[in-house]
Amino acid sequence: MKDLKHLIYFENLLQQANNELIAEAKKKGGIAVAYTCENVPEPLLNLGKCFSIRLHAPQTGSMDIATYYMTNLLCEPSRALLERAIEGGYNFADCVITPDGCTMINRCVENMELLKTMGQDNPNFFHEYMEIAFKNTPADYDLSVLQCTNHILKPLQEHYGVDISDKAIRKAVEKHNKLVKVIREIGEFRKGDKPRITGYEFHVLCLATYVCPVDLIMKKLEETLEELKTREPDEKDWRCKILLVGSEVDDSSFIKLIEDNGAMVACDRFCFGSYPGRTEIVLNDEEDALTQVCRHYIQNCQCPRMMNQEKVYSRKQYVADLAAEYDVDGIIYQQVKFCDPWAYERMLGSSMLIHDYGYPVLSIDRPYNASSSAGQLRTRVQAFVESIEIKKIQRGGTK
Amino acid sequence: MSKFAKIPLMIAGVGAGLFVGTFTMYMFNLDMKMMTLVAPLLEKWYDSREHDFYL
Amino acid sequence: MSNMKTVEVVYNTRERAGEKSPGKIYSEKLKVRRRREWRGLKDTLFDYSRWCYLMFGVLGKFILNPRNVKGFLRYRWMMSYLFVPHGMDKFTIGLRDEALRITHYAMNYVIADVTQAIHNCFRGDRRVGNDVAYSEKCCITDENSMVPFVMGFDKEKMHTILREVPTMFASNIFHQFNVMHYLDVAQQNGIPGDVCPMPEAEAGVSMDDDFCVLGACAVQNNTTCDGSLMGNGIIAKRLEKQYGIPTYQLATPLRHQEEDVIDYAVEQIKGAIAFIEEHTGEKWEWPVYFEAARRVNVATRCRNAQLEINSTPYPQFFGAVFSLYNDTNYMGNAGRDPYFEVLDKKLLKLAEQGYKEKRMYAKEYRHRAIVWGVQPQYVIDMLYWMVQCWGVVPLVDMLSVINKDMIAETDTPENREQAFRDMAMLNMQMIMRNHTHGGYKVLVDELWDLCEKMNADVVMMWEHMSCKALNGMHGMFEEQGRERGIHIMWVNHDLCDPRVFTRSAIRDQVNRYMRTVMREEPLDPSLEHIPDDEAY
Repeated sequence: MKDLKHLIYFENLLQQANNELIAEAKKKGGIAVAYTCENVPEPLLNLGKCFSIRLHAPQTGSMDIATYYMTNLLCEPSRALLERAIEGGYNFADCVITPDGCTMINRCVENMELLKTMGQDNPNFFHEYMEIAFKNTPADYDLSVLQCTNHILKPLQEHYGVDISDKAIRKAVEKHNKLVKVIREIGEFRKGDKPRITGYEFHVLCLATYVCPVDLIMKKLEETLEELKTREPDEKDWRCKILLVGSEVDDSSFIKLIEDNGAMVACDRFCFGSYPGRTEIVLNDEEDALTQVCRHYIQNCQCPRMMNQEKVYSRKQYVADLAAEYDVDGIIYQQVKFCDPWAYERMLGSSMLIHDYGYPVLSIDRPYNASSSAGQLRTRVQAFVESIEIKKIQRGGTK
Repeated sequence: MSKFAKIPLMIAGVGAGLFVGTFTMYMFNLDMKMMTLVAPLLEKWYDSREHDFYL
Repeated sequence: MSNMKTVEVVYNTRERAGEKSPGKIYSEKLKVRRRREWRGLKDTLFDYSRWCYLMFGVLGKFILNPRNVKGFLRYRWMMSYLFVPHGMDKFTIGLRDEALRITHYAMNYVIADVTQAIHNCFRGDRRVGNDVAYSEKCCITDENSMVPFVMGFDKEKMHTILREVPTMFASNIFHQFNVMHYLDVAQQNGIPGDVCPMPEAEAGVSMDDDFCVLGACAVQNNTTCDGSLMGNGIIAKRLEKQYGIPTYQLATPLRHQEEDVIDYAVEQIKGAIAFIEEHTGEKWEWPVYFEAARRVNVATRCRNAQLEINSTPYPQFFGAVFSLYNDTNYMGNAGRDPYFEVLDKKLLKLAEQGYKEKRMYAKEYRHRAIVWGVQPQYVIDMLYWMVQCWGVVPLVDMLSVINKDMIAETDTPENREQAFRDMAMLNMQMIMRNHTHGGYKVLVDELWDLCEKMNADVVMMWEHMSCKALNGMHGMFEEQGRERGIHIMWVNHDLCDPRVFTRSAIRDQVNRYMRTVMREEPLDPSLEHIPDDEAY
């Protein structure tokens, strides 16, 4: 297929955590709200002149200093983020909002705070830690509203004079939904026998929406969408299509590695992915926007830390529904090594998707930087793709 | 000695015997040494049982 | 080394009666000791009497019940309990006088409590006793779960079954290898080996169908950590889908120091209570609750007093047994068992007596240590070893640093509202979790406060390699310890999996530190290397 006009532009943006658009946004008076987890309602971090940046650590090499502070027993994303912070890679941040979602990321940010890695030149800089919902119940909605008020809205208002009114939240939601619409429309081109965008290309675009000021990339995203409408798909078919599920994937080379083996990543249900992170938030006029936003994030949350049994089962159903919608041949459940929540979720999820839903599943753990274990991953993916092909042949070409 | 006088002596004798027996078992750790012989047999028993695996 | 904190060495003015080198009774060939320790006539007879009580009064009585024999043969984890006396021997190494008595009374009741828990499990278990009427009044709870939400249920009417305590937690204390089977089951089915072995083993027990199946309902908690939260899903799935036992997930907030989580925590408690009422048909009774609350306060006062004594040069009640006793009393009991009140006072009296007499557990106390971090179950007796071998007295462990405040104990309308907040607070201040979660201050800063308060010069840091909450602050502990001149002795382990770190590998970490950094010789060289890697 012909290269997408802006792909290199987006790829370049992803090479650095402190990319050029962040500097540009800050020059225009923007407030960089850094965050670490999909459980934080994104629109609340994009009120007024705020722009949200989800912390990631591209091109991570050595993590020796972070490993000294956190030991090599904690997951690599947490150590990579700390290492990057110590190196000064997040000096752009005007504040950091961290939910107590998983222990490791929480410890990572606490170390960042204690080591004073950010905000040295900013008297208004702050760290906030918040409780987040565990279940999908009205009590959890109330908890979420209170936590967002106390640990996002009020601090932003007090430190930076940000407008946190209902009107401001609605405006931020509108902006969020505009982005969601574009990304979802782009994502639709992954469907069908002749997809017009690869999983890798989509991941680059989607990842950029998390790690760049959205206002500054909207135009190029919209242009990319237009371009896709007339893009000629590849003649050659993919060997199979898969749904990728799991923990953080902020390394597009991992997607590329999978697709280089002929398995198209047709759908993405992982952190930094479009499901559920890029889901439209529908607001009504009867209720305050904050409550609706919090409820939306809880109801749509697919994070394994949501502990009520309905959520435990519905997460697998969600994966199965996506698999059906995108007509995939198989599912890859992946986690970064040493991630406790995904260790269990991967195990239960892959078992249920195989036995209860009848999908072939590859269950793997991997390093944060996929290229450091490329050979092993490639072998696993190759074998999985071959097994899918064999199953297809045995079924006479049907699913 | 009358029958009634013999009974406390018999009780004392049994008590002393029990004490010596149990104290010997206690002091030489015979109870736990015996369990080290029982444990491997039990392991085999548990291994032989059917398990209703469920995930 | 010059800026390192030092403490005055305290010498034992009394000669220890009996065995001078208890290390000699370990055997390389046997998996248990060659013989029991001679402690002088008085203490040996006392120890013997407690052995008789355990053997015949507790364990013997248990096994006389045919139902319990059936359960014994059904469940693999029961094998651990063959070695309960061996476990007691580990905890009483080198002890005399009040220390011996404190350890026996405390630990014997913990064992009796666990025995009763197993007895209750077997009674209601569908595969063993199948007492349906009993089972329908049972509520199963997690192992690592506070139980304040059942404080207001009459024990005779609604039975709280801590069914995960005997399977993994207690069993690993007596038989270090017994949990390995369940870890293997869990890992064979896809759970990676780096997660905490406790919830992993529990998940393995569930998958292997080795939990007792009973109860009208189950309440699960997300304490202690992410691992517990996640393992619950696997266990609940089997309970609900296969056994038809409904489960309630009691979500306990992590940010327990913040005011803005308390309302949610209260709602969760109320939800759990309503759930139990609905499924067991039994009602919450405020008089029962406030009586239990009163006993909780007695336990808190006694525990605070014990810690006061431990802050002096002559600490009395410390180590594994102090920790296990607090686990049982504070977490598993929560004021429901009236005997704990009697025992609390008895133990305090003994401690006060021992303090007055200046009794010591070893020849010298060279160092005073705060034991921080999560302790390993299979070598939990190590703290006694540490004081006997090296004269490092463990003043308190992290799991015993729990709630110090009184809760409302008088039944009034205002106190009924306060009671929910108290229950929520107790739930959040769960053993271990009150430090491993809730921010770095409760983990790091509180440690230094304790060192100051209890005049400690050493921190013995249990580094449980799968406990990410603790490991994540490794560097901070190092740096801040150095600033304060506190020795930090890192001791790695993997909680209940002895394959990763054997007992001698664990002890050797202390041995090496004491020899190379402290430049000291052991008080009792016979204990420095113990051949118990293969022992039960």
